[in-house]
Amino acid sequence: MINELVYSIAVWLDDTQWSTMLHESYYMYNWVESTHVLTLMLSLGMLFLIDLRMLGYALPDMPASRLAERLNIPMLIGFTVMFITGILLFYAVPVRTSQSLWFRIKMVLLVACAVNAFLFHKQMNESAASWENEPRAPSRIRMGAILSLAFWSTIVVCGRFIAYDWFDCDTSPNTFIDVISGCVDGQIRF
Amino acid sequence: MPTSFFAAYSRTLFTLSAILLALIFAYGGWMEAIYPPLLGVFEWLENTWFGVIGKTWGAAFAFVEAVHLLGLAVLGGCVIASDGRLLGMVLTDFPVQSVVDRTHRVFVWALAALLATGIFMACGVATKIYYLPVYWFKMMALGSGMLFHFFIRKPLLQHDVNMLNPVVVKMVAIASILVWFMVAATGRWIGFSG
Repeated sequence: MINELVYSIAVWLDDTQWSTMLHESYYMYNWVESTHVLTLMLSLGMLFLIDLRMLGYALPDMPASRLAERLNIPMLIGFTVMFITGILLFYAVPVRTSQSLWFRIKMVLLVACAVNAFLFHKQMNESAASWENEPRAPSRIRMGAILSLAFWSTIVVCGRFIAYDWFDCDTSPNTFIDVISGCVDGQIRF
Repeated sequence: MPTSFFAAYSRTLFTLSAILLALIFAYGGWMEAIYPPLLGVFEWLENTWFGVIGKTWGAAFAFVEAVHLLGLAVLGGCVIASDGRLLGMVLTDFPVQSVVDRTHRVFVWALAALLATGIFMACGVATKIYYLPVYWFKMMALGSGMLFHFFIRKPLLQHDVNMLNPVVVKMVAIASILVWFMVAATGRWIGFSG
């Protein structure tokens, strides 16, 4: 039921003129994709520095929460650009992307990252005064940093895997994966 | 004294000479002479273990691509934090020397990861990238970036940054951001070529 709805919406998006223009435009699509990838340096670059600081592997003698606070702004600018370009990439190829196993895992992990980031900042702000200048943050904060690194690394792997057609609906013979990917019986658009 | 001049600026002169030689190599006709024999090296690379794994297992190649991107993210983060601090745009209430020194350590690890994964990826598609002009641009940008970082930027910033000419410091930061952006952008463009 949900998969049919997602498929219908994707087909409707795919039929819009702007989607076709974006997909068929060699340079514009590449610019959007390149911007999405290169902004990793700003968004994940800042985030990984914060996480590595909490684990004691980077900038260990700098005040932890103040560092996180200062790097939050460029990080959020990066994530905003990635979010906008990500939506454009989805809009350019909606049917295949919405039925990609890797895209679906990526979306679930993005939600997990958002929850983890909320809890991480909440715990950090509540307790930072007691460990601000310690080389390593307390175990709960470190666990949040490890989860953040693991989730985002998996998101990057999934994002890279989307480009490959291993489990596409028109190629995959695996029923289980077809269900998870949201393939619809008798679909004619891929 | 000419001797002291060369001694004082030996690394800078070495770097400038290397970049000049690379430009002469690329545009002075040397490239045409050396380019054909290099094909054998690239064919050999494609037949190494790395090349065979990269060609045979698409998932392994894609996974290493993702690790390469993660390394790029960390390296980019270090460049933005460090050079952004030199430009007075980020971490402005942190000591500039500490930011530059601490991010350099992470930068080296990220660069090592990028080189290791980059070599693996290059082996998998060696005979393809051999014919791509953008690959050679990337190698020139990468070489320039490494020479610039280790032979110009780092020695310069080992001095007390507050004693250096602010214009020079800002120019170094801008040059650093541009050269690493160029490395990343040409790398991305390889994916669109061929």
